[in-house]
Amino acid sequence: MPGLEVESKRRKRRHEEGQDELDAEPSALHRNGHLEMLSDDEDGNDIQSDDGQVDQFPEIHTESDSEEEEKEETSDEEDEEEDEEDKDEDEESDSASDSAESLHVFPKAKTVMSEITGQPKLVYPEIEPDYDSDSSTEDAPNRVGDIPMHWYDDLPHIGYDVNGRKVLRPARGDELDKFLQTVDDPSSWTAAFDKNTQMDKPLSAEELDIIHRLYKGENPDANYDPYEPTIEWFTGKGKEEVMPLSAAPEPKRRWVPSKWEKQKVMKIVRAIRQGRILPSKPKSKAKFEFYSIWNDTPSTHQPPLPAPKPPLPTNSESYNPPEEYLPTDEERKRWEETDPEDRERDYLPQKYSALRLVPGYDQFIKERFHRQLDLYLAPRVQRVKINIDPKTLIPKLPSPNNLKPFPNYKSLHFIHAKGRARCISVSPDGAWVVSGDEEGIASLWEVNVGREIQRWQFEGRIGLIEWCPRLDVSYFVVGTEEKLHFLIPPNITNAVLSLTQSLLAPSSLPPPPNPTPIKWNSVSPNHWSLDKPILTLALPDSSGLPIQAHWHRKGDYLATVSNSKTHGGVWIHQLSRRHSQAPFKRIKGTVQAVLFHPLKPHFFVATQQYVRLYNLSEQKLLKTLMPGIKWISSLDVHPSGDHVIVGGYDRKLCWFDLELSDKPYKVLRYHTRAIRSLHFHPTYPLFASSSDDGSIQIFHSRVYNDLLTDPLIVPLKILRGHSVKDQLGVLQVRWCGKHPWLVSAGADGHVVVWCS
Amino acid sequence: MDPSTSQSRSQSAVFSTNTQYVLPSQKFMIPATWRRYQLSQLVNKALDLSKPVPFDFIVRGEVLRSTLEEWCQANAVGEEETLEIEYIQSVLPPEKVSSIPHEDWVSAVTCAVQGHFLTGSYDGQIRAYSHSKQLVSSTLAHRSPITSICAIPTSSPLYSEVSSSNGDQAIVASSSLDLTARITSLYLHDNNTDVDMDEQPPTLPPRSTALASLVMHTGPLSSISVNSAGTHLLTSSWDGLIGVWDTNIPDSDQVEVEQVSGAERKKRRKVDLNAQDRPKTKAPISVLKSHTARVSQVIFGGGGGGGRGDVAISCGFDSTIRVWDLETGICAHTVTASEKPFLALSLPPSVFLAPSGPTSTGTPSTILANSTDRTMTLYDLRTPSTSSASGASLSFMHPSTPSCISANAEAAYQVVTGAYDSIVRVWDVRSNKGAMATMRAFTPDGADAGQVKKVLSVDWKRGVAAVGGEGGLEIWKVGEGKT
Repeated sequence: MPGLEVESKRRKRRHEEGQDELDAEPSALHRNGHLEMLSDDEDGNDIQSDDGQVDQFPEIHTESDSEEEEKEETSDEEDEEEDEEDKDEDEESDSASDSAESLHVFPKAKTVMSEITGQPKLVYPEIEPDYDSDSSTEDAPNRVGDIPMHWYDDLPHIGYDVNGRKVLRPARGDELDKFLQTVDDPSSWTAAFDKNTQMDKPLSAEELDIIHRLYKGENPDANYDPYEPTIEWFTGKGKEEVMPLSAAPEPKRRWVPSKWEKQKVMKIVRAIRQGRILPSKPKSKAKFEFYSIWNDTPSTHQPPLPAPKPPLPTNSESYNPPEEYLPTDEERKRWEETDPEDRERDYLPQKYSALRLVPGYDQFIKERFHRQLDLYLAPRVQRVKINIDPKTLIPKLPSPNNLKPFPNYKSLHFIHAKGRARCISVSPDGAWVVSGDEEGIASLWEVNVGREIQRWQFEGRIGLIEWCPRLDVSYFVVGTEEKLHFLIPPNITNAVLSLTQSLLAPSSLPPPPNPTPIKWNSVSPNHWSLDKPILTLALPDSSGLPIQAHWHRKGDYLATVSNSKTHGGVWIHQLSRRHSQAPFKRIKGTVQAVLFHPLKPHFFVATQQYVRLYNLSEQKLLKTLMPGIKWISSLDVHPSGDHVIVGGYDRKLCWFDLELSDKPYKVLRYHTRAIRSLHFHPTYPLFASSSDDGSIQIFHSRVYNDLLTDPLIVPLKILRGHSVKDQLGVLQVRWCGKHPWLVSAGADGHVVVWCS
Repeated sequence: MDPSTSQSRSQSAVFSTNTQYVLPSQKFMIPATWRRYQLSQLVNKALDLSKPVPFDFIVRGEVLRSTLEEWCQANAVGEEETLEIEYIQSVLPPEKVSSIPHEDWVSAVTCAVQGHFLTGSYDGQIRAYSHSKQLVSSTLAHRSPITSICAIPTSSPLYSEVSSSNGDQAIVASSSLDLTARITSLYLHDNNTDVDMDEQPPTLPPRSTALASLVMHTGPLSSISVNSAGTHLLTSSWDGLIGVWDTNIPDSDQVEVEQVSGAERKKRRKVDLNAQDRPKTKAPISVLKSHTARVSQVIFGGGGGGGRGDVAISCGFDSTIRVWDLETGICAHTVTASEKPFLALSLPPSVFLAPSGPTSTGTPSTILANSTDRTMTLYDLRTPSTSSASGASLSFMHPSTPSCISANAEAAYQVVTGAYDSIVRVWDVRSNKGAMATMRAFTPDGADAGQVKKVLSVDWKRGVAAVGGEGGLEIWKVGEGKT
């Protein structure tokens, strides 16, 4: 129907022209009714060219009818003539369609009696596909739908068509056929496999165009215009806003002058009036003065030292150090246990495989805090800790086991039944002990058996017993109240006995050189018996009890100390001349003990707080030792003569090196109660101290001939065995001659021999 | 340990002995829970002894006192090891036979006189007791304490020299603190008439006579001993000298005793003159000089033979044991210990046992000595003097000072020591881990309970130990021997 189509085109154009005319002259609408018909004829020349352009879209044709009708409905009355023409044409088409309908087109159902049910049924005739029908463009005979096509892989057909008939699988050639086809058919490379039909279908031009566009990255729609002109809906000329947005009245401040500004201005005005601001202040004429910075003489100060350069980081500080730098678990534990200020390094090497894995600096906050403290001038507290193992402070002393022999057990004891055993003395040969108690009994007994051999009874208590150190004579002195008794032990050879007798009771008395208040009363050997003292010295009246005596090593001089205040209580008796003298006219303080120096003509005098060393031959004071003891109780001198030990009632024991100083070389405070007695062993490097706590302490005291080597003092043993009675413990200790045996006298009346 | 396993545990052991009861040498599997009693039963049954003999067992130098299992655990001996167990005849627990209190301490006892106990006391008396506890003789031998006595054996020619028709005579040598030793002849009477003899000795007929006074020493004497033949005496003194004397009684004073003009001396001389029996002084035949300090004991080393061919062994406070050749009078051998002042010494009992022992060689091989460091030590005298080792092989620890030591021929390997803690211990010289038996002498009673009385002397012969000390004399039955 090309004729029909052309006409409808024509009508369209006409309608557009009519529109234009309407726009131009709306009032002349009716007058130009005829002209329009004429112009219809005039446009007939253009039909050819229009056809050439528009012919491409035949599909629209069907829709154009309905559009036409709609337009007709909405059109005005002036189109009535055209409507009439259209009606004519409709009639023509109707007649034409009617004729076609009668032939085959519009399916009319025939009512047929069904053979199966016996009911009448409508049977539609077959649709005859032609150019205008939908089914003519139907290109998918397979109607299986969108299913996986491999379901049909094993079947000879590939689906069903609209009538339910099988669509057979098209024959597909092998690869050679495909190749031949590409050679033969130039368009075959634009074909694509269609799953639905299981065969290659050539792509259409539109599809190729879409592919092209996608390939170029453009919008696949060919009609899409990315540069469409904008349509101004709300802006632009003639569309300005003229109405206010809100109905609120205009605020007053838009036109009233500002009060705040006025205040500011008035402030300035006031300042000007008061002269605080000079409006026309003369500008300073002083110009900026330059000066030469190099003219000054350079500073004589040293330039500040540059900050020390921090050491370069080492391998262990790397974030990825070699394995050997990593701490072991042990090192890590040790590092964590030590205090921060004691650590060698303030970090632990850690290994990260990559720099991005390194975590944030965990000390950041702390360092920042310390920096703040620095800025605040708060010094960082650096705790200085002395890290010393307390064991290293203890001096290295040899083990007591290596310093044997020393007394370590109680071998036997001798009992003074009645009173305290106050004093003891061991014979120079170390075989006999004389012990005296407060009841006036002096007992002589063997060291090794403990059997009393001889007993002497005196009046009053016994204050001292000292055995004469001479070996060619044998006697000892016993001090009682204001008296000194000289006694001879039994069981000595006749030679010794006669020599002793002639010494103590010489037949011809030497003339007394100077009158002294001390009487020497000897018993003639003919009238002497073992039970009686052979010589008795009567000390001056009210001199009290002699408490301490010391023999000079040659055995000729005997120094005694009495506990009275007169004459200082110190006397030196010379046996060979039967003479006694008081070496000191006056002594400050009470004398506690005296000692002869073992080698030199020196004499130690211990008063309550000081020990003084006198030279007897030159009659002068050599030295004053200050032990720092409140009340000295005892004193002994080392056999070498260079060392003195001093014990006090305030529990202290001081060792003096006479070559060294007036102050004690060492102060030992091991006893819990007052020290009563001290004694150096004559041959072994030992000394003993006894105390009121009932214990005896044995010390190893090695003195070196080398003046540079300090004496070695090692506590060896605490001997316990004496019981404390009336707050008194061990009153005197004495070593036993050549053996490391100790004899001790206790307030409990026991005299104990300690053996090694 | 699981009790079930311990029950089934057993220890393999090999037995050996020096006694007459010898087991065949084979290995025994012994249940570990066994004690001495079961082991002793085992030996008795294995030997099929008619009369049961108790045995003691020594394992590695230690007398078995617990079960075998406990011993193995204490000594860390495994189950698989084979123990060598030596068994010896048991020492029966000592029995106290009698106690004879003395007025003074008893410093020396001897059982050498058959049927009698002789004591030397600190009051200077020598007393003789019969086995029925009766004082049969008493004489004031010294004015000073007696330190040691020895009975001169009856084989001595002295007995024939001292004319006596009476057989009940004992000649005793005693040493004293008064620098002399004496030879005294005692008349032993079994009747009771001489009980108060010591109260008035001068008035009674001279039953007991001081035969000689040995004068040489300048210090108190510590010990005296006689050889088995009774021909020679040895004295040791505090002055470091050893005197060798024969037992001949001199006719006149060999040594002029210088009398000191003193009242005491005069008095004594008066007494002596009154008694008319002041013994003749006697000089030594030789003096052995080498000790540097007190000699505490000297004994004859030779078991028999007699004469001067014997050796003497002495110990002293200078920590040495010296062996003297009496013929030449020189020190043949010296054992030097370190810081061990010796108190007493004795020949070990094995010397008596050895068939070809001391008499053949003249010198005993080992010696036992007590020292003040509370040990009794067994020394090997064969160790050369120059070697640094002192030759000490075994030490027997005491809790107190061991004062005396005694061994006898009857009890092989056993010695008796007395100590200051009033305990007499019986030791086996093969086991130094503990005493075989102990006897507590001088059991305190009533007033002086808790007071420890020292044992000063012990003599053990014929199964009887005489213990002398602070509490007098005690007689104990020790060992398996007959009384």
